[in-house]
Amino acid sequence: MEVNPLSIILVKSDSKGDRLLFRYPFHMQEKNEPSNARRRNPYTLPIVDDSLQTIPQPRSNINKCQLTGFTDEVLSSLFAVKPELCNRKFELKVNDVRFVSHPTLLQLRKKQLDTSGCLLINVVFALQALATHSVVKCYHDLSKLMGILLEHEETRCGYVNDEMQVMMTAHDDGYASNPDAAFLTILEKSILAKNLKKMYEDLCGTGLVNIRINRWIPLNFCLPQKVHQWHLQGKLVEPEDIDRCIKSLRPYHSLLLLCPVQSINDFISLDGSPSLKRMLTQYSPLKNLQTLATDSDLTPSHIFDLTAHLVYWARATVIYPICSTNKYVIAPEASLHLNSPLVDKFSELFQGMNLIRAISEFSLPTSLGQKCNPLHHPSQQSTLVQMIIWMLQNHLLLQLHTYIQFMIADQFVANQSESESISATRKMRTESESGTSTISEGLESKSEAETKNSSENFSYNSTDEDKHDYHEELLLDFTDEERSIIFKIPASNNTDDLRLFARLCRKKYFTGNHHIEEIMYLENLRRSQLLQLLDKFRDVLITYETEDPTIAMFSCP
Amino acid sequence: MQSNGMYDSQEICTLPNGPIRCIFFCEFHPTVGPIISCQIPENYISKELFDSISVYIITKAELRKSTITVTLDDYKILGFPVRIDDKKYPRNAYHFNLCFVCDSNSRTVHYEPVVMKFSEYLMAMEIESSFLSSKQCSKKLAPILTQVLEKLNTNGECALTEGPTATHLKVVKIHKDPIQVADHQVPVLVRSLPDQQWDLTTHAVAPYIDGFNHVARIATLSGVENNLVKACVQNLLYYRVVALVPLFQYGNVYCTTSKLKYLAQDSEIQDRCLRYVAKSPRQMPTLRDVFRMYAAMTRGTRIKDLCLRMNPSSMWINERKLVQFGVLEGLIRRVHKYPVLLGDSNVLQKTLNGSASLDEICCSTGVSGQQLEDQMDRDHNVVLLFK
Repeated sequence: MEVNPLSIILVKSDSKGDRLLFRYPFHMQEKNEPSNARRRNPYTLPIVDDSLQTIPQPRSNINKCQLTGFTDEVLSSLFAVKPELCNRKFELKVNDVRFVSHPTLLQLRKKQLDTSGCLLINVVFALQALATHSVVKCYHDLSKLMGILLEHEETRCGYVNDEMQVMMTAHDDGYASNPDAAFLTILEKSILAKNLKKMYEDLCGTGLVNIRINRWIPLNFCLPQKVHQWHLQGKLVEPEDIDRCIKSLRPYHSLLLLCPVQSINDFISLDGSPSLKRMLTQYSPLKNLQTLATDSDLTPSHIFDLTAHLVYWARATVIYPICSTNKYVIAPEASLHLNSPLVDKFSELFQGMNLIRAISEFSLPTSLGQKCNPLHHPSQQSTLVQMIIWMLQNHLLLQLHTYIQFMIADQFVANQSESESISATRKMRTESESGTSTISEGLESKSEAETKNSSENFSYNSTDEDKHDYHEELLLDFTDEERSIIFKIPASNNTDDLRLFARLCRKKYFTGNHHIEEIMYLENLRRSQLLQLLDKFRDVLITYETEDPTIAMFSCP
Repeated sequence: MQSNGMYDSQEICTLPNGPIRCIFFCEFHPTVGPIISCQIPENYISKELFDSISVYIITKAELRKSTITVTLDDYKILGFPVRIDDKKYPRNAYHFNLCFVCDSNSRTVHYEPVVMKFSEYLMAMEIESSFLSSKQCSKKLAPILTQVLEKLNTNGECALTEGPTATHLKVVKIHKDPIQVADHQVPVLVRSLPDQQWDLTTHAVAPYIDGFNHVARIATLSGVENNLVKACVQNLLYYRVVALVPLFQYGNVYCTTSKLKYLAQDSEIQDRCLRYVAKSPRQMPTLRDVFRMYAAMTRGTRIKDLCLRMNPSSMWINERKLVQFGVLEGLIRRVHKYPVLLGDSNVLQKTLNGSASLDEICCSTGVSGQQLEDQMDRDHNVVLLFK
């Protein structure tokens, strides 16, 4: 996988020259079998090469996910950079390997008499050249972090110098003939080498690095591309994706932890944020972030930050709080097959249930309310909620929201002039249809519309001019065409309905950017109010269901 | 790929975005060490900067003939160190490296083959006529480098005919590897095919790519072997000439994506959409009708149901084109059905384990989708997952 490091290399350079101190993994494979081991067929025609036009084959320095083809001397000469390149990002690509690091120049604590006392220490990560920019950036950050920590430990207690001496002695002690043995001795004696080994294993395993430098300073690092485990399906979660998700968080969203609260408490170090612990005591997937903020007595913006933190470290995800009106379907990326480990996990947690059968009920959009039966025992209902939470934690479900688009019959007036006779009849039909009409109704609806029009005209003329004027005023910022169409809708006679419609329209809620729940939250409306309005104005409002793009990034392609 | 060489055409390989800022030629001088002997434009890379990175340009022996890229704060330097061993040189060897300099944020992978080829060319000239090691090297080299820099940045290709040998340099944009093509997928042309320059297979296959024939059917119609068709479609996919969409059937289910809102907001896509989905070019459908059709696509609604309910032909909409446009633009997405056989029985579980969609099963077994679905409806152990 292209996010894993190929190797971690530690190089020093000082007045005594440069040296590769340690690298991991160091077990060189046995001389790999010659590549042309396949026996040649004696009957094939020899390919006549055009000797003038030999195209050089690109070389590869990766063999079975390990770095090959570089001796230690070459590596040390490459990474013992000139002082001009120190304390900044260093990136070098050789064939199909990309090296990234942050060379750090530090002052030795015990200054030897004959030297300037400067030491260059460079923790280099070898990656596959295919690694994306963001992966490279993350590794650079990690190397920079290591540099800062080592610099601190050197000024505090001369740690780097001590470790360096241990490694140099091992190299010099007659192991020159067999470098692997030297690296083994170093791994036994040096804590720094052990740290680097642990770092490599963590990066290849979970993507979460958790080590202590000099048994003293904790180094915690998260490689988001790896830790979210989406790379298994060929998709990388980039830090920018997470940022975008966090930026579009709203107070009505809610936090869903991906693991039990207890394990997160263990994961938080002793000096972890107390507000995070406070928030976790109040946590529930049924609460939205605003309620969570009130309950845990923290500011909403702080709750947002904590959420962002947990999401980045893949400890939590963001959902719309679970309630009976939420509609769920199976997520398109869900890996649901009989051999999936999730199937066994599910039946362990929920006795006598089968994941495939349980989730198949979400093949069609299904809400919690539809699945709940008043005759059922309350415990069954809570099991159902637990099941949905579990499926959401495993990204198996996707929530559908209803979006609304304001659109009147003829946006393309140009068409009308082309063939007036046809469009005239069509216009009549589309004006009166209610979403499901077919052409067979065309004639009736035409007469219907005519009668409706005349009756409306009549009411305008006779009853109250004032009301009409007021209605006109409500729709002042609509175009004439839009206004005339809206006035043909019977509900526009009702002042309250029209006022609400105009208000929501003006605030641009009907442009497909806001779902019903968001409008409810922002405008303090009840669902029934909004649904009634949508129904009354269905001739100009088109609704469709889709996922909320901001929070669906963890379950959608 | 069998026919890569055929696509040296003008429009397919558009110019990559990061231009070459500078080309320099450096060599190892027997007394002075690494120096830049010719640079276009002059002094783009300063002497101090060059000294700090010369170790990556005139390298140790193990790294010669490797492509090496150094990324600095402002520049990205791409080189290919070469060493020629010969007794006639002062140190028994001649080192040189021809480097391209680009902006540090641009991609340079596509220049690697060019740098390699250019270096090989210079090496051949040096071996033949001591072109590089002679005294007036920089005078002769400067016009060549200028020509390469200008031509590659403007045309993406350059022909060098200096001296006895000639060579052609070309920047080829690198795309991601195309996905595997399956029998049941349908290729759709997303731009017109250039007239000539195609290999024989493509010539035979191209007339049948009409946006409705699936791969297996194209193979039968054109009389070309199935795997060749797949390779050909994959090749066209790589050059972004075709896109793959799922096979259209009236029993298919589609659902809207969050991109549908762009159809209402973006007038450019509206225009394209209406022209694409129109049943006849004389009468355009209205945007509202098209939008309503898309909005009505939900899980559980087959295209068949939709057609019965809304009668698209009365609205001047071609429903097949409508679905095709929606899928190509990502406004809608196909909802696949995955049958899973529960209960511990037999061989069938191998195919019906949830990893193969109904389409794949139909194509591999040759049973029609309707037949298969009817049979599954009768069996209570089979569960259909829509996703």
